[in-house]
Amino acid sequence: MSDTRTLGIGSYILFTVAGTTYALRSGEVRHMEMIEDITRVPNAPSFVDGVVFSRGQVVPVVNLRARFGFERAAHDLRSRLIVVQSAARLVGLIVDSAREFINIPPDAVQPPHEALAGMSGRYVEGIASIGGRLILVIDLSRILDFAETLSVDLPS
Amino acid sequence: MTEDNATPFSDFLDDYFAECDEHLMGVRRLMLALEVSVGRADIDRGVLDELFRHFHSLKGISGMVELRPAEDLAHHLEDYLRVLRRGEAILTAEGVDALFDGAQMLEQVIGARRAGTAPPSIDAVVGRIVHLVAMVASPEERASAKAASTLPGAAPLVPRWRCTFVPSAELVARGIGVDAVRKRLSSAGEILNAVPRVTDDGAIAFEFDLAARLDDRTIASWRDEGITIERAAPPVDSDETRVVTPAVPAVAPPVDGDLSSASVAPSHVVRVDLARLDDLMRNVGDLVISRARLADTLARVEKSIPAGEWRAIQENAVAIDRQLRTLREGIMRVRLVPVGEIFRRMPFVVRDLARETGKRVRLELRGQGTEIDKFLIERMMDPILHLVRNAISHGIETVEERVAAGKRPEGTIVLSAATAGDIVRMEISDDGRGVDAEAVIARAKAAGLQVPQGTPEANHLLSLLCAPGFSTRDESDRASGRGVGMAVVQSAVEELSGSLSLETTPGAGTRFILELPVTLAITDALIATVGSETFAVPQASVREVIEVAVSELLQVERNEMTPYRGAALPIVRLGRLFGLPDTTRDRVHVFVVGAGAAGLGIAVDRIVGQREIVVRAIADSLVRVEGISGATDLGDGHVVLILDPAVLARQLRERPDRLFVAASGAGR
Repeated sequence: MSDTRTLGIGSYILFTVAGTTYALRSGEVRHMEMIEDITRVPNAPSFVDGVVFSRGQVVPVVNLRARFGFERAAHDLRSRLIVVQSAARLVGLIVDSAREFINIPPDAVQPPHEALAGMSGRYVEGIASIGGRLILVIDLSRILDFAETLSVDLPS
Repeated sequence: MTEDNATPFSDFLDDYFAECDEHLMGVRRLMLALEVSVGRADIDRGVLDELFRHFHSLKGISGMVELRPAEDLAHHLEDYLRVLRRGEAILTAEGVDALFDGAQMLEQVIGARRAGTAPPSIDAVVGRIVHLVAMVASPEERASAKAASTLPGAAPLVPRWRCTFVPSAELVARGIGVDAVRKRLSSAGEILNAVPRVTDDGAIAFEFDLAARLDDRTIASWRDEGITIERAAPPVDSDETRVVTPAVPAVAPPVDGDLSSASVAPSHVVRVDLARLDDLMRNVGDLVISRARLADTLARVEKSIPAGEWRAIQENAVAIDRQLRTLREGIMRVRLVPVGEIFRRMPFVVRDLARETGKRVRLELRGQGTEIDKFLIERMMDPILHLVRNAISHGIETVEERVAAGKRPEGTIVLSAATAGDIVRMEISDDGRGVDAEAVIARAKAAGLQVPQGTPEANHLLSLLCAPGFSTRDESDRASGRGVGMAVVQSAVEELSGSLSLETTPGAGTRFILELPVTLAITDALIATVGSETFAVPQASVREVIEVAVSELLQVERNEMTPYRGAALPIVRLGRLFGLPDTTRDRVHVFVVGAGAAGLGIAVDRIVGQREIVVRAIADSLVRVEGISGATDLGDGHVVLILDPAVLARQLRERPDRLFVAASGAGR
């Protein structure tokens, strides 16, 4: 029964934040939801919108616009909550839209350019060019790394 | 926040919403219980009655706040339930659908009022319910039925019997099998309960609890057919604690040889209403609070007591604390019951369904002695029933298909339970055809769900299966239950802080894994609001709640204080601490926590209620914040944070500057 888990390697879920397309390994994605009401958590990091219940667990919601240093935007019908799993953690990511599932061959992913500036550059582990479209492959563990965030977002 | 926030009417509305939440939560729970009764004449009356009361209350209170759509809808739902209660209609799948949709619409209508948005239209749902009621009976018939049902003393006591049947080859040769026996018994009266068990010599015996008036001739003829009959204890009012007599064993001996639960002699088992345990738990909570008050009083008189006497008092106080803790844990342990309670219904379900579908199925039960909280047992019954039914109707193939695939003609379903630390893991696995990924995807697409390309992983398949509105068979397939089946299973598991996962291999089988906490952290809490936010505060940590006029708060340097029991109590406004807008209320509620010099008042807008909550941990470091101990769900799926007043108080004592951080309005 374990062979079902190895399926889906090389398959990614594409989402957009502020006009840029990003990719997450589909194995890291637990499921996607429409964004329903989020409970604000007082004194949480600025890029955390709050918590929701997802499949019985209390899951923090990270606003990727805020995480990448963009302005927050109002949610619309295309906005999604992508619930991702990293090690034992479950975290929700708010993205502008998420629709496509694609396969990216491993050799199509290049290491990021030095020149890839901006906040989101820190969280990118590679760049893929598929059909003339640039896709930034996300390093999930870095997005969720709180220690690094502290030094970035909360200057003391 | 609306402009009428400070009016008495808004207070009234707060109460209304709190009360609605309670009723709607009850409705949800009961609906799940009702779902298994589709197509049966013997619907659990208790469930119907309770559901009816909830709708009736919702109708009444909605009328008082002039929320007409809610009042109307509750009225129609109540109507339909009245028909079902009288037994004038059998609950159909359409009926359950209408009830589910109606209840959901009711939640939406009330939710819209709370959010101040336009209510959704109830017309379609009401139309369906009216249609269901209209199909049943004409008004005259209903009126006469009503007259009959309200006759006083309509239910005289019927004697109870315990009938035991041990099938044998000889009896079967005479045409007497368990089905024949069941038919015979049900023609004479009502079968209240049926349990298969293994006798001491390894044979299978079927025990039936029967309510019937039997004459000596019937009894004699039954005895002749191998049915043993004995008079059972008379029925006792359900509000009473039931002492189980030796004639009615509380726990059927497990079939798998796990004797931990069977070794208890039945005569030593007392069955207690869960509500009574809850009462006990509440009493312990009261005791904890009284103990805190006593400590407070003692601290004040300490100086006037000789040192020797004081030491004795302290020792006693410590002993009481320890005993209180033991008592609390003891009560939690009493709540643990073997999962065999769920399992013992399954052989019947499997047998009936296997016969109906023409399949051959063997059921294997493992780990029936595994103990979990009674609260969990009651809520897991239906989800597990559903998964077992699914395994038979979707998982196990027909005999021909199995033989063609080179499998044994008989399919096997294994139901197992085991504990690992604080987690109980239940598995329902079958050796059937596995989940057909392509069929699932096609169905999901047809239902308008978002579907990944390529071969989905098991967890994606599970989310599709659990999506509301998903069902891989026709509505007419009774066995699979309703389209919302898996969605209901999942939400039931989630409500209990559990998780559901799926493993499947095409052609070889499917396994559903449920992981649940052995016992739930359940606690009494006060529900408080600050602006539009809601928080829960564990009652045990609150010494007292007082009401204070904001205009009468004393400004002492940078602190706010209020007179309290002859001293000044520092007040911190929760809203300021959490960066919320300042209250618009004239009077606020204050939780008093800590004692003496460490005492502190935490001001909230209002306390809207008191209730038992299920505490869920907040594990992730991104949202682990001091002063918040967890989260709970008040029944609407929305996260409500649980405050830890002791930590808040300590934090403020250590870092009083925190009091003022947010006063300038740091909220976002």
